[in-house]
Amino acid sequence: MSQSAPYFVMLFKAVSYALKAEKILKAQQVPHKLIPVPKEISSDCGICLRYELQHRCSVETSLLNQVMYEEIRILSH
Amino acid sequence: MSEIKIVNATGLACPQPVVLAKEAIEKNDQVKVVVDNETALENVKRLGTKLGCDVSVEAKADGIFEIILQRKAGAALPDVAVSCDASTPAGGPFVVACAEDKMGRGSDELGSVLMRSFLHTLVLQKEKPDVMIFYNSGVKLTVSGSETLDDLKELAAAGVEMLVCGTCLNYFEIKDQLAVGVVSNMYDIASTMSRAGRLLTP
Repeated sequence: MSQSAPYFVMLFKAVSYALKAEKILKAQQVPHKLIPVPKEISSDCGICLRYELQHRCSVETSLLNQVMYEEIRILSH
Repeated sequence: MSEIKIVNATGLACPQPVVLAKEAIEKNDQVKVVVDNETALENVKRLGTKLGCDVSVEAKADGIFEIILQRKAGAALPDVAVSCDASTPAGGPFVVACAEDKMGRGSDELGSVLMRSFLHTLVLQKEKPDVMIFYNSGVKLTVSGSETLDDLKELAAAGVEMLVCGTCLNYFEIKDQLAVGVVSNMYDIASTMSRAGRLLTP
């Protein structure tokens, strides 16, 4: 996975939300990755969901009304 | 009694201050080493202690320290290797041993996420391990379908050598699915762990 192309991170209030999101995305075979929250972002939960730009629609549709998230950010490093 | 030999090691990075101090104390009974950082201070002090010298330190202004090494009268210096703990490990490689496919105990679900996070973070670190060893359920990290595969491949591409326990792949019946690293044996694993300068088990 390239470190330079822009990607999204979805931030959650707690680890359990991140795990739930992963379960849903795995079941639906939507490409994603759980990663530690990048240092420059502060969040109570240490884990966030990373996904590529082209999967934005499937990720966000799959999680709609299923998992509460705090915010979505676009990162590019 | 010869007069005190002064070694100015300010502005020098480890191991230079230790090397200069050692050379000086081999030729003189009393040496004053001037350093400008805590790391050099600690390393020179440690050298003095190992050599059996009396060590005293005086802190000066602007972060300067003067370390006096005094040889015990008539005592021969023991043979001591120059070591510099702060930046480089003493000799051997930096080894990361993954003994499980999870990190820590308590919750398997959490442990799996932590292990993935750990390996992902390792990729982003400037100082990468020289060798990574995978055994027991740790070998599951290296096979196709593993969620850590992308990160491990990136580490391998950055030059990290990966030894994967063949007995373990065999036990879990996943030898044909190995996707990163080389099948290894206990001889290589034990000898790599034994000569490690630093051994880290997540």
